[in-house]
Amino acid sequence: MRRFLFLVLCVFCALPAAAQDAEAPIQQVMQAHAAELAKASRRTIQPAIDALTASGLPAAQTVMERWQNKEMWQDETTGLFVFAEEIDRSTIRIFDVSDGSEIGVVPDDDYKQLKPNSGVRGLIAAALVKFQLTDPSVDVRRTALDAIARDPDDTHLPALREVMVGETDGDLSAQMQRLERLLTIEFGADDAEKIVAIQSFDGDLGVDARAALNPLVRTRINVAEVAPDDPALVRLITPGDAALPKTEAYSLLVDKGLAPPLIPPSEVREALIRNIDGDRVAGVEVASLSTDAARNAAFATLVDQGLAEPAATVAEMDASLDAFQFFELYIGAPPAVALAAQEVLSGIEASVALNQTADLALDAISLASIYFLAAIGLAITFGVMGVINMAHGEFIMMGAYTGYVVQLFVPDHTLSILLAIPLAFLVTFAAGVAMERLVIRWLYHRPLETLLATFGVSIALQQLAKNIFGTQARPLTAPGWLDGSMVINDIVSISYIRIAIFILALIFLALFLIVMNRTRLGLEVRAVTQNPRMAASMGINPDRINMLTFGFGSGIAGIAGVAIGLYAKVTSEMGSDYIVQSFMTVVVGGVGNIWGTLLGATMVGFLQKGIEWMNPSNTLAAQTYMILFIILFIQFRPRGIIALKGRAAEA
Amino acid sequence: MKKSLLGSTAAILLGTTLPALACDAPIKVGVLHSLSGTMAISETTLKDTMEMLVDQQNAAGGLLDCQLEAVVVDPASNWPLFAEKARELLTVQEVDVIFGSWTSVSRKSALPVLEELNGLMFYPVQYEGEESSKNVFYTGAAPNQQAIPATDYFLEELEVEKFALLGTDYVYPRTTNNILEAYLQDKGIAAEDIFVNYTPFGHSDWSKIVADVVALGADGKKVGVISTINGDANIGFYKELAAAGISADDIPVVAFSVGEEELSGLDTSDLVGHLAAWNYFQSADSDANEAWVEAWKARMGEERVTNDPMEAHYIGFNMWVNAVTAAGTTDVDAVRTAMYGQEFPNLTGGTAVMLPNHHLAKPVLIGEIQADGQFDIISATDPVPGDAWTDFLPESAVLVSDWKELGCGMYNTETSTCVQIESNY
Repeated sequence: MRRFLFLVLCVFCALPAAAQDAEAPIQQVMQAHAAELAKASRRTIQPAIDALTASGLPAAQTVMERWQNKEMWQDETTGLFVFAEEIDRSTIRIFDVSDGSEIGVVPDDDYKQLKPNSGVRGLIAAALVKFQLTDPSVDVRRTALDAIARDPDDTHLPALREVMVGETDGDLSAQMQRLERLLTIEFGADDAEKIVAIQSFDGDLGVDARAALNPLVRTRINVAEVAPDDPALVRLITPGDAALPKTEAYSLLVDKGLAPPLIPPSEVREALIRNIDGDRVAGVEVASLSTDAARNAAFATLVDQGLAEPAATVAEMDASLDAFQFFELYIGAPPAVALAAQEVLSGIEASVALNQTADLALDAISLASIYFLAAIGLAITFGVMGVINMAHGEFIMMGAYTGYVVQLFVPDHTLSILLAIPLAFLVTFAAGVAMERLVIRWLYHRPLETLLATFGVSIALQQLAKNIFGTQARPLTAPGWLDGSMVINDIVSISYIRIAIFILALIFLALFLIVMNRTRLGLEVRAVTQNPRMAASMGINPDRINMLTFGFGSGIAGIAGVAIGLYAKVTSEMGSDYIVQSFMTVVVGGVGNIWGTLLGATMVGFLQKGIEWMNPSNTLAAQTYMILFIILFIQFRPRGIIALKGRAAEA
Repeated sequence: MKKSLLGSTAAILLGTTLPALACDAPIKVGVLHSLSGTMAISETTLKDTMEMLVDQQNAAGGLLDCQLEAVVVDPASNWPLFAEKARELLTVQEVDVIFGSWTSVSRKSALPVLEELNGLMFYPVQYEGEESSKNVFYTGAAPNQQAIPATDYFLEELEVEKFALLGTDYVYPRTTNNILEAYLQDKGIAAEDIFVNYTPFGHSDWSKIVADVVALGADGKKVGVISTINGDANIGFYKELAAAGISADDIPVVAFSVGEEELSGLDTSDLVGHLAAWNYFQSADSDANEAWVEAWKARMGEERVTNDPMEAHYIGFNMWVNAVTAAGTTDVDAVRTAMYGQEFPNLTGGTAVMLPNHHLAKPVLIGEIQADGQFDIISATDPVPGDAWTDFLPESAVLVSDWKELGCGMYNTETSTCVQIESNY
């Protein structure tokens, strides 16, 4: 039945396709390259693209643009190409490629969509440049510039120079000039022109500039009896340097046929053992072969007698190495160009290193502020009250999910985040108060039980979140104005969301200080933590204060959750990622002091980034080393960076 | 359709010649997927898939005149618990077959139990290879069905000259990256042009690693990222990529563990054009797939998506059903013999074949991420036979697995001996 229907449909679909102009010149060009177009690969597609560009047909540009956008389909029976747009899963509306006129609506079973991959799309874009550079739209011209930057070829330089003068958009004009200089380095007519372009990049930190310069200064190590007096010569190398170990130098000699292959001592021995005749080898008594020198001499005799392949021993290797000069030659460009590039690059590299350090420092500050934000709630509940709250991470998670739920109801991202922050505080404040009332107040001064009970609560909360929100990560989308990053140059940049977290961390530091030092609640909290009985006798209700303090700490964790969810993810397990770091931060900094927490977060952040920099291939190892370091640190300063002194310490 | 018709004809014929099989108890299908803990994020979906497949089969008349019953246990992302739960399924629940596991470490934990009790397990996830157990059928991709074709695509179509291999720190990424490093050096990529980095599960601080990858481009070579980052960590990674403004045209990323399900937690508008390599994408244009997606959405909700391990279970389950029908029994040894050469149409069009090394022959697809969180399939190969032992590591190049002819999962072709029968490697 299905097949029959399909056949009927096909009879109809064949009709409109027949109406299409199979003789149109552009269709002819495409048919000549039908096989390449149908199965486009970057390796084989260039002739087809060239044919389209060279055809000079007005339709060529549209064809390439729509092909690039995956809007071209091929009729599988006739092999003709059409433009098409999908109406639904199984029908398409097709258009003629020569003039774009509509042919009809057909089922897509008979048509195959051409899907050029991004490599092919890059080549199409490079070919389209010559049409797009003169386009009236700024966006199209910018697309053309991006295409040149990605896949430059020698036709782009004259095309770019032609339009560069007339460019009116200031931004675009600057981009064009930069690109023109980059292209000149690669495709410039003569060395003088190239050198001028190279020198213009002095001090430029762009990755594209370095990408253009680095290939010019490629070198190769060569060898000769006497190094030639060649301007391309970079330097002489002594074998045994870091750049050229002796074995490599020697294999270079062997490759060039200037020396026999090296033979290790073990093979010398084996060759000698093979040739033992009675108690003598090559006329020498076996018993006398107790030194390397003696064995090598015997081996040489064997070679003379034709009993062994000629080969060099380690001692001979050094001798042959000394007889030749090893040197490095520029091979990427003519010497003058290479030298100019080298000079500019050396200048750039110094500032690259400086900027990389700056970037690393920014990353470290950002990480520190994230740890600080995650830990600040704990600094209150653990630092001030001394409650080991293993469910602290789950309060962070609750805050993040609150943000997610708010976004479900308030689609405007800016507004939803502004709403989510106080709501997350309220939700986690309530949860904190409930937990204090139900669990923690029964367990004050029993740290082990508190630890176990809160750990249980943490697991329960995780599973609860899984049951409510499912196991898949939920999106918490930052408002549009926090997208992207602040780019200082091509090396130093930091995403806006991280800057926002940094500012949030500063705000909370201020909030904490104000609440603890300038409010009645802060005064009472300090009084209760120092001496609950004395505080009670002064008319303070310790139960109430403990409850409020715990709620306050939990509430701040909730807000931290919103921030962390924005930059990372919202899952039921996100809390457990931060709980260890949070405790580490508070303990290293010194329990009971917010400045200690700040210093602790800074130290942990910088340490983490520093170790990552030294060991870029394994981030997990970096975390391990950091924990080891912190254990050591605690050995020497058991009370953390800022240790409480006096009566407060005994409380 | 024709296939299962043939199968049922065979079953009827068997039923008339043999003494009628009395169905005194339902056939039990064990489902060993974590429903809690870190891996629940991925594995819960597979539990739902298995329940749907069992229900569909029951609606179609069951198997050997019996109803099927799914027995679900929760190993809670706790690797040793996988062994315990497998034992419970085989000895207490007495299931006839198990479908389960996601991470390699959980599979390796269940292996000794399966081999000791002669159970039968179908493992649906792409993995690092270097294993072939008599009691496991691997319906996910081996490295040569995912990693190697994707790397070829990078080398040939995108002309990538410098590789960043980023992975989560556990057995699958490490083994895959070892294979890829050997393969790339084989293809003439210098060792210093391969940057490797491992991060912990759930890593979220990606800014430095992304900056490192960008800096790789400073010598004028095209950089590509091969990501074996697993689970939640991907979200932070892609967010940082988007924040850094890295376009897929400049630095393409191909991921081996990111599918439709993982992307559903992300705003994908900035990720358009980045790649993933799988044997299945929800966007595959075939009638079977359309029906499958429809059934899944009808059961689980309109916003739910389908992914590659689900298709692996779909193929594995249907092959098992056909093998049981052909064997006329659920006895493990009889079913295993009937499995070899089983063919079943896969959802992307074409046919999957079960090979004697317990792996499938399947096509490899490469898809580009689209703004709607789906993949646009831009490259599809002919079916690639899964290779249990990779050809690119010298110590495993000499090994083959052939349970049908050689009766050995680790056979050394140089010495013509079976290295070992049990998979305690």
